[in-house]
Parts: sequence; C-alpha cells; structure tokens
Amino acid sequence: MRYATKTMLLSGTALIAAGFLATAALAQEATIAFSSGELGATSYNPVTSSNLNSATGLIYDRLVEQDADQSYHPHLATSWEEADDGLSWTFKLKDGVTFHDGTPFNAQTVADWIPDFTGTENEYLVAAIASVEVVDDLTVKFVMSRPEPNLLYNLSSAFMGIPGQAAYDAMGDDYGVTGAVGTGPFKFDSFAIGLETVLVRNDDYAWASDLSENQGAAHLERVTFREVPDQSTAFLELKTGGIDVLLGVPTDFLEILKAESNIATIQMPGTGINYMPINVTSAPFDDIKVREAVGLAIDQDAIVASIYNGVGAAAHNFLISSLPESQVDPALEVSYDPERAKALLDEAGWVMGDGAVRMKDGVPLSVKLFTQNGTEFTALTQVVQAQIAAIGMQADITVFDSSTIRDEYKENRHQLAVRGYDWNNADILDWFFSGERLGYPNISMWNDPEGQRLNLVAMTESKNSAEREANFKAYHEYILSQHLFVPLYQPTTNIAYNKDRVTVPDPIRGTRFRSQTVLDMTVVE
Amino acid sequence: MLLRYIFFRTLMLIPVSISISVVIFMIVHLLPGDPIDNLIRVGSSPDDRAALVAKYGLDQPLLVQYFRWIGAMFHGDFGEAIVLRRPVADLIGQNLPYSLQLGALAFAFSSIVGIVLGTISATTRSAVVEQFVRGFILLGSTVPGFWLALLMILFFAVQLQWFPVSGAKGWESLVLPVLTIGFGGVALVARVTRVALMDVRREDFVTLLHAKGLPSRTILTRHLLPHAMLPVVTILALRIGWILGGAVTVEFVFGRPGLGSLLIRALGQRDYPVVQGCLLMLALAVMLGTLIGDVAQAAMDPRIREART
Repeated sequence: MRYATKTMLLSGTALIAAGFLATAALAQEATIAFSSGELGATSYNPVTSSNLNSATGLIYDRLVEQDADQSYHPHLATSWEEADDGLSWTFKLKDGVTFHDGTPFNAQTVADWIPDFTGTENEYLVAAIASVEVVDDLTVKFVMSRPEPNLLYNLSSAFMGIPGQAAYDAMGDDYGVTGAVGTGPFKFDSFAIGLETVLVRNDDYAWASDLSENQGAAHLERVTFREVPDQSTAFLELKTGGIDVLLGVPTDFLEILKAESNIATIQMPGTGINYMPINVTSAPFDDIKVREAVGLAIDQDAIVASIYNGVGAAAHNFLISSLPESQVDPALEVSYDPERAKALLDEAGWVMGDGAVRMKDGVPLSVKLFTQNGTEFTALTQVVQAQIAAIGMQADITVFDSSTIRDEYKENRHQLAVRGYDWNNADILDWFFSGERLGYPNISMWNDPEGQRLNLVAMTESKNSAEREANFKAYHEYILSQHLFVPLYQPTTNIAYNKDRVTVPDPIRGTRFRSQTVLDMTVVE
Repeated sequence: MLLRYIFFRTLMLIPVSISISVVIFMIVHLLPGDPIDNLIRVGSSPDDRAALVAKYGLDQPLLVQYFRWIGAMFHGDFGEAIVLRRPVADLIGQNLPYSLQLGALAFAFSSIVGIVLGTISATTRSAVVEQFVRGFILLGSTVPGFWLALLMILFFAVQLQWFPVSGAKGWESLVLPVLTIGFGGVALVARVTRVALMDVRREDFVTLLHAKGLPSRTILTRHLLPHAMLPVVTILALRIGWILGGAVTVEFVFGRPGLGSLLIRALGQRDYPVVQGCLLMLALAVMLGTLIGDVAQAAMDPRIREART
C-alpha cells in the first residue's frame, strides 16, 4: 500500500516533469534571472527612472551602442558627425524602423524625445544639448550649448533607449508600469513589480546593430525576466530548470557552478574596480610617503589568485583596462613592492618597534579600515588587512551598511576603506576626486588646486573625444602621483546558463547583457 | 454594550496613530545616510545634487518635513518615493496583495493546525503522541525561517520537484512559503492552546461536568475549548501585523514580492516616504489586529466588556 502510493507519486512527478520538458522544448522561450544589482526596478520608463534593469535594453533601441572594448557602433543612428568646434552633432537615422505600436521612428521622434528629460533626475544626460533640429526625415542635428565629447556614451546608456512618443505622452505616469513602447526586438507584455517581467518577440524587428549576428527578429519568442534576490535560491532555480540564464553570478559561486554538468558560465570583462581610498586629511595619511607605502604593500596578483581563483584581473590604476585613459605612464601604476614600502615608512619616521607594529613618537601605526556589509568585500578586506600588517601597519576593520558608511565619510571619520565602483567611463575620476564632492563621493578628501584645474579642463574644456581622452589621462596621472587610493582588483561580470536548455553567444558583445546577446540566443532542441 | 466598546476602542486609535507617526518619522530621519546619494549617478554635478535635496524638501527643518508629510497623509496622499520614483501608495498597493495572500494562508494554517495539535497534546493519553507534539513545538519555535525555507526548497522543490523553487505564480508557489511561515505559528498556537486547555481542565466546573457524567468529547468541545480560546485569540491577534511585514526573510528566499521586502529595500536606500508609508501600514495592521482580538475576546467573554465600559 505504502509502496504503491510512493510509486504513484513518483511516476506522477515524472509525468509532470516530462510534460514540462516537452513544452519547454517546443516553445522558443527562456527565463532569465536579474543580477542582484538590478533588482527592484519600479518602472520601464527610461526617461524618469533612477534604476533600470536588463529587460529595458530589450524593449528599447538606442541611437548608438557601445562594445566591450568601449568602441561605439551605429544602431538607430547609422552614422554621425561631430562639428570641429564640438558645438553640433549630426546623426543620420536608420530607415524603416517602427515602434511596437506601429508609429514610425524618424528625426521628429528624436526631436520630441530629448525635451522629455527636462525636469527629470536624468536631465544631466542631455544638459549640453541646447536644441534639436530636424534636418530631414532621417537626419537630426543636436545644437550644443557647450562641447560634449561624452555625448555618444550618454546616448548608448540604458536611460537613452528611445520610447514611442505617442504612447509616452498618452500613458502619463503609468508609462513603463502598465505598458512601454520601444523599437527593440522584444515587446512589453506584462510587469509584476518585484516578481517578473514578460517580453514577447517583435516579429517585425530588422534593425539590429552589428553587435549581433542575427539581424532579424529574435529566435526566442518569449523572454521572462525574474527577480530572485537570494543567490542560493537562484542557483537552485538554475539547476532545476526554473530559470535558464542567471545574470551577475558572484565570482565565489563559480566553483560550485562548475560542478554542475548542465550549467555553463561566461565571464565578461567587468565595468568596475575594487579599490581602497585613503583619507589624505587624516594622520598618518596626510604624509604622502605613508600613502605610497600602503599602496606598495598590496599584492594585487595574490588577491586575484587567492580570493578569486584567478578570475578577473589585478588593478594597477583607477580605470578599467579597456578605457584608453587607463593607459598611463607605467611608472605611475601601483604595484607590489614591500621592501620599498618599508623603506618609505622608515623615511617617514615610522620605525619598527618591539612588536610587529611600527611606532613614531610613541604612537603605534594603527589605522581604521572600513568596509560595507555584504559578502562581496569581506574576504578582500581581510586580505588587505593582512597585507598591510606585513609592512608594520595595524588596521582595525569596521563593517557598515551602505548608507551609514557614507555618513561616516561625510563626517570625515574614516582612514582607509575597501569598496568598489561600477562605471565604464573616465568621468568616474571627477566623481571620486573632485574637490566639490569632499567626503562622499570624494572619500579621499582630496582638494588640491592643480587637481581642480586638471579636473575642470577634462570635464569642460575638451572639444572632441581625442582631447577629452588626453585631458582625462593627464588628470588620471596626476591623481596617481598623489597616492590617493590603492587599486585592488578588476572583477568580471559572470553569467551562468543551463546549456541543456539554451545557447548564449560567448564572448558577449557590448558592455553588458542586452538585446545584442538575446537576439543571438537559441533554445536547444 | 459591545458596540459602545468597539466605538471607544476605535476612537483610541487616533491619538495612538499620531504618536506612532511621530516616532516613525523621527527614527527614519535620524538614521545615518540619505536617499539622494542613492538617486544621483556619475556624470551629474554637485549642483544637480543640491537641486534634488531642495526638490524633496530635505533641506527643510525636520518639523516642517513632518508636517508636510502628515498633512498630505490626511488627504490620503502617501507621497512620492524618492529613489523608487513612483507614488508610495502605488508601491504599497502592488506589494500588499502578495503579503496578504501569504499572510492570510499562513495565519489560517497555523491557527487550525496549531489548535488541533495543541488539543491533541493536551488530551491524548499516549505518551508517544504527546512527546511528538512537544518535540514539534520545540522545533517550530526555534528553527530560523530562512534555514527552514532553504531546507524546504532542497527537499520538496529540488529532490521531489513537487513545487517550484521560488516565485509567486499560482497556488503551487504558495505551498512552501506558507508551510515555512506557518511552522513557527503552528508551534506557538499549539503551545498556547495546550497550556490553556490544561489550565481550564483543572477548574472546579470541569470536575462537576465529569461528575454529572457528560462524555469527555462534549466537555472538550462545548466547555473546555471555548474557555481555552481566550489566550489563543490574543496571540493570534498580535500575529496579524507580524504576518504582513514579518515574512521578509521568507519572501527573500522564495523570491516573492511583499510589503516586508519593499520596506527592507527602501530602508537600505533611505527612501524615506516609502519606509514611512510601509511602517505606518504595519503599525495600523498591528493596532487593528489588537482591536479585533480585544473585540473578539469581549464578544466571547462578557466579563471583559462589563469591566471596561
């Protein structure tokens, strides 16, 4: 009796499972789980939102796309031209593009769309555009109030996916929540906040960028994006077939995933750096020799090998290595040299006492090392603590939540901190080192006339992209010469997928997982 | 009599709500950190930041900010989320159904199973059954929810594949979260029921009933349980508020939206209007739960309504 029940249950489960597999194989659909960083989006309105997820990139197309090597590729704009004085940009637009609601995409769409940003939190993206002129149906000219060599970067951002103007105006506050209209390869079908977003294929799609092989409509008919906040749950969903693709897998999970026969992983070059800012106003770090010594104590290669199992890369300056502004004078890069570190501390008057901690005028070389809670930085902070202990500096770790730690920075109560940023543009230097943002984001508390001058030149006086690159490189090199931070690690963006269910192109083109990748994805028959 | 009692108890909610709103506002605003840092992005200027601070009135004195908030609240306006960029009422409205669904089912499950188990353990003559129920109660009151949730997933979703691992689509996805939350509740209710029944059983009138020759089953259902329900109702009433917002870890593990998850996310980003709105909702739920519990008690026990009116 008991045995019979068990058999019935088991065979019932098998039947259900078989049924699942059968429908899954027939339907060209995939379920993708967002990475933890993009959870909790409340809207698919790119103009007003402060937080957009990967699904946004499938609904909307952008004028310009950016590849993993940071180069720009045409998309809805087929070509563009920047005036010599930088005061105007002319874009030629792709012909025959239509929105999901059937309205055509043309120069007038662009002219109507840019003013939508006025008064929103995202207005800074278009702040340099004084007006938009419709030259002809497929040519549009941006008249600039100042040169903005970074315009292409802004235009390729998710916030500048182009919404259908008729729907945008008609739906008001509900736009992006109950519906959204773009020109992308997938149409908005449904959105349950905090749970899932369902997109269906745009059968008319024929205007992909050159970042995808497939230039027509997507192979997948339906894509469901799910929010699975707990990493363990997400892993179990991937293992059991509840989801097919998991975006943003933590690097320490990769080993566990490798043990699963049906799971494959892809590593994309990351778009950020983990680093340790140094508060230059707080003794002993007001002494540049002590700052330099801390940098020389960090063994970046050991960090990559011991914490991250060789995944990712060592960081030796402030920018990700695909940015041209990261190619600085090698003499300025920060690398491991413990002997020189010890010599510098000796020079600065910090001499080795009886214990393992250096002393100066009876004061031990003891500093505060802050970090944020969450598993991401825990191991890294401990290794940093051990590495600087080796040159005779004792660091006490304090862990804060992400909002509280910013208050500590603003109150100038910090000395060293282990943290990371995610941004693939050189203007991150302005963000973290501008003298106008002391405390936070300028955690180094650095305000120096030469630094401010170079900042101003890089941010506002660059007329074209070549000039901007040179100016930011000079600013970057000056920052490195002042030893304001220690670069630690360049993380990768990891994606895992069920290879029995779907194929995902490897390498992934573009700076992040977007339509160019989903267009090439197929379901395994 | 009962109606008058309800009226006065409801009236009392007004001053209590106002005091709670002050406490909530002060706690939220005195936390370190602010929402603007979670809103601005690289590429915007320090002037943009200042403009945003002014736009949301965060440069105003706290008193002014409080009265703005509470003033709007009187018009039914919960305000606009700063970081999440949506009306707070919409956000709560989108998340509340998930919490209600999960909460109501877990509440019903823990009440029914808890009362039944408690009754069995108080009345059984079998030492094995009693030990089993007592062991269950001990386990249920001590096992952490997130651990139990993962265990449930591993066994029922990964090994047996009876239910989906996570999500909130269809009744299948509700089973494991309801069991996880309900487990602790069952233990609590069973414990209280058991103790109450054993107390009542020692009363003189029960001895009299037995002496008059009434069957044990009749004594239990007609006389013992109604008496024993008073403390159980109190406990259950207190759990109403908890059930709406207390499922955060379970929501997190099972990937379900809900009021608790919204609150935690908003708190992490210091999205003041959302945190305030959620906390106020939860406080109201607790107050209403207590009110319902008191009224139910009054309806069940004439001594209470006589004493308090």
